[in-house]
Amino acid sequence: MTVPVVREATPERKAEIFGKVVADVRFQDYVHGCYECGICVAACPSARFYDFSPRKITQAVCREDLDLFWEHVNVDVWNCSQCFSCDRCPRGNSPGGLITIMREVAVTAGLRSAKEALEGGERVVYKIMSTGTQVSPDMLQPEAFPDWGPDVQDVSRNLDLWRRALPPETLHTTTTAWEIDDKTLVELYLIWHMTGVLDMIKAVDEGLHMILNDVMEELLEDHDIVVS
Amino acid sequence: MPSDTVLIIGGGPAGLTAARAVGELGGRALVVETRERLGGMPDEANYAALTPDFRPASEAVAEMVAAVEALPGVSVRTSTRVTAREGEAGDFRLTLASGEATEVVEAGAVIIATGFQHFDPGRETQMYGYYEYEDVLTLQDLEAQLKEHRVVVPSTGKAPETLCFIQCVGSRDRRIGNTWCSKVCCGIASKEAIEVKRLAPQCKVFIFYIDMRMYGFWEDQLYWKAQEEHHVQFIRGIVTEVIRRGEKLVVKGEDTTMGRPVEAPMDMVVLSVGMEPSRGTVEMSKVLGVPLESHGFIAAPGNPLDTVTTEVPGIFVAGAAAGPKDLEDTVGMAGLAAARAVALLRTAASTAQPVG
Amino acid sequence: MSSPDPNRGGPSAPSTLTAGTIPLEVVHARSFTRNPDLAPIEDIREEVLKLEAEGEWIVQRVPDDHTEVTTKYGRTKKIPNRHTWHHKSCGQCGHIPGYSTAIFWLNRELGTEYNDPRDQTSCTAWNYYASATSNAPAQAAVAMRNFAAAYETGFYPVIHCGTSYGHYKEVREELVRHPDLRAQVRDILARMNKPLVMPEEMIHYSEWIHVMRHEIRKRTVLDLSNITCVVHPACHYYKLVAEDAIYDQEIYGGQRTAIMSQLLETLGAKVADYSTWFDCCGFGFRHVLVQRDFTRSFATLRKIERMKEEANPDVTITHDTGCVTTLDKSQFAAKAHGRNVGIPVMSEAQFAALAMGAHPYRVCQLHWHSTDYRPLLEKMGIDWEKAWAEFESDLDRLRSGKTEFLTWDDANAK
Repeated sequence: MTVPVVREATPERKAEIFGKVVADVRFQDYVHGCYECGICVAACPSARFYDFSPRKITQAVCREDLDLFWEHVNVDVWNCSQCFSCDRCPRGNSPGGLITIMREVAVTAGLRSAKEALEGGERVVYKIMSTGTQVSPDMLQPEAFPDWGPDVQDVSRNLDLWRRALPPETLHTTTTAWEIDDKTLVELYLIWHMTGVLDMIKAVDEGLHMILNDVMEELLEDHDIVVS
Repeated sequence: MPSDTVLIIGGGPAGLTAARAVGELGGRALVVETRERLGGMPDEANYAALTPDFRPASEAVAEMVAAVEALPGVSVRTSTRVTAREGEAGDFRLTLASGEATEVVEAGAVIIATGFQHFDPGRETQMYGYYEYEDVLTLQDLEAQLKEHRVVVPSTGKAPETLCFIQCVGSRDRRIGNTWCSKVCCGIASKEAIEVKRLAPQCKVFIFYIDMRMYGFWEDQLYWKAQEEHHVQFIRGIVTEVIRRGEKLVVKGEDTTMGRPVEAPMDMVVLSVGMEPSRGTVEMSKVLGVPLESHGFIAAPGNPLDTVTTEVPGIFVAGAAAGPKDLEDTVGMAGLAAARAVALLRTAASTAQPVG
Repeated sequence: MSSPDPNRGGPSAPSTLTAGTIPLEVVHARSFTRNPDLAPIEDIREEVLKLEAEGEWIVQRVPDDHTEVTTKYGRTKKIPNRHTWHHKSCGQCGHIPGYSTAIFWLNRELGTEYNDPRDQTSCTAWNYYASATSNAPAQAAVAMRNFAAAYETGFYPVIHCGTSYGHYKEVREELVRHPDLRAQVRDILARMNKPLVMPEEMIHYSEWIHVMRHEIRKRTVLDLSNITCVVHPACHYYKLVAEDAIYDQEIYGGQRTAIMSQLLETLGAKVADYSTWFDCCGFGFRHVLVQRDFTRSFATLRKIERMKEEANPDVTITHDTGCVTTLDKSQFAAKAHGRNVGIPVMSEAQFAALAMGAHPYRVCQLHWHSTDYRPLLEKMGIDWEKAWAEFESDLDRLRSGKTEFLTWDDANAK
């Protein structure tokens, strides 16, 4: 993996980003206090491969150590597997949940490290936001999954045929995981607009934001929906 | 007419000490015990040696029982439970049930000494496998072995080559709902670790802990002794899972001082289970109408300066019925409860009878 | 900064490894019973009903035809037997479509009415856990839009993906705890003329299979007594909001979730244990997309190789999208490096369908899987060569344009 360099920031900037994490509606549910028992690390898959510690991330936040927090919010949070094995915490913390919040704040604030971390994942973001299904059969391209072996090639070569050979009527699609109603998609776009998710995308990837906006506007206009 | 008797519920260290104190002060005490014999948890759970002095528990219990039996003012009912209470301080009427038979006795004061029970590791939210692997034991399971002067791996019958204790099982845990420290488990684990090393010197013994809570003299009597004289390894970090791999149990945790995950094969794993309010404690709260505090033990609202007075006048509490206690705390409380109870009866007697 | 050895830090494992012990064996001298009175947390379902009484939302009730099971803290959970609305999984439908097909096939064979909706989006949690380009209100609105869509059909929602299931439980907690969030989501749904609806119980499809296990057993046509399975339970099923998962004191002494294991035992297969049972599969959400070296290493070194060494199973059974994908696809590269891998991976839905005589390609669609499953089929007594020839002739018909799609009738054709 590439290790993003932690950019220097002013104490005010660090405090501002830290404040956004603490202000999140879920923060009080996810962080209580830490007596450093290490159960989160013991159960953590990422801790076995990376220099990564859900305990240290939680502890740094509890201590309000802004310098450590800054390192974590820029680098370490992206190593988390989000499996929530760490939810076993006897203090009732959710280090994984804290990391979810930290990632969201990093994205919303447009931190460069967040942009770098998201590189390569654009098409997944595009897919989910524009089609309503997260992954689609046509994403199984051999060049995207060289390590998955020649079967991916089989799938991709036979994709249309193999999709038609599925008995469930909703699964004959190749660009979406299943057939989805237009009306459903309109409702999803409405959610992205009304919850500020499109603005989050804009903060980290202007190009992607533009494409998404175009796709969505078209369908919303077809259905006479005006988004404020 | 006020009663001159102190009814003591529970025949363990707290109840026996309170009864002895009442008797020695010249009062009358009636000890009610649900088991068929006295001795309480040290007897019931086969404790081998007491913490911190390694004195055989059976010898110490026998001494406590003998002291009580030698006092003419103290009588004992075993296999008996309290099922109802009427009246008030100075003039309680308590229903005792023994098998099918019931009887109402009078008492001027009551001391609740119903103790604790060990946490059931099946409720632990870490995965310790107590109900899957017979080589996973609790502190009291190991005590039963130590009482017979042996340490063996249950599945093989051989002496263990590696053994570890896991601290804070069922204590200090919001996920389980037991947010308190049970106070004694660090000392008991260290004591048992020393006993294991004495019986099986080749065995490597580890203690996985969050904080070693070795109050006062326990520090050098147990902790340093285990570390320095017996080479017990203390690893700061708690185990999240115990699972079998081949012939061994594997414990997985983080060594937090070294900052790395640890996986270690063990022949035996001992769970340092904490204290919970005993069933008798919860039952007596209901029968006697005595409120519990927020953790579920008998409330003593005058804490910390008055550890024994409950919210019901004339009813006192001693020992682990009021929360996790070591033996020193327990017997100290029992003495104070006895003093308060006897004082109450004497005041009641002096105001009820004209001085003549 | 990263360590190449995932098992670092501890004394190494004993060199002589024996076959895994059967985990269903418990210490009979010790018996553990859950007492729901000792549950450490409030029952969120009661809060959900309280909010309904206060007019905050509608609670969709589990149909009368349901089965009760016991969950982690000894509480009772109602699992619908029939009349279910299927919240599909993008990863299953997209990349391992035999998974979804097998779930539907089981429903058809058991005659439980089901609804396979087009008015359903992904839960979007894969993206949420991978890229964080979302937020709590958006995630909650997506969930509640889908639940409202289910409610409109009258069918009860059953969730195919472990992550959707886990995430929707998170959303339920957030909505119960935070009135502002509830109000915001209610407003968003109002724009779509949809009511705010919370299901009485969150149901994962594997829980439906769990309660149907005796019905499945009755219809089993294969002898599975010589098949050794290992189980990988999904983190988002039993770790993320832990209290809803099924436990049974007869299975692992009530200490691990009984999901899948109890089904496999009922079907007559052997269930073997291995020492990384509780470990994650390594999916990682973003890792499987952009940091797959981690995913591959974890899946093979921590999971597959341990299973192989300790239990040498015929198949790995799991019950979640990411887990099937990760554990199956990661083996190719490891094999190329000469590692001790090579265990076919499938969902318990596919395995149960095979046991009931489902076609390995028309229904279970095993050609979408990577690790060689043919030795398993042979051991189960399935003639895969004949089955593949049948499927090839289906494909010929589709190629020729005689028919456009394979139908459910085709799936069961003799």
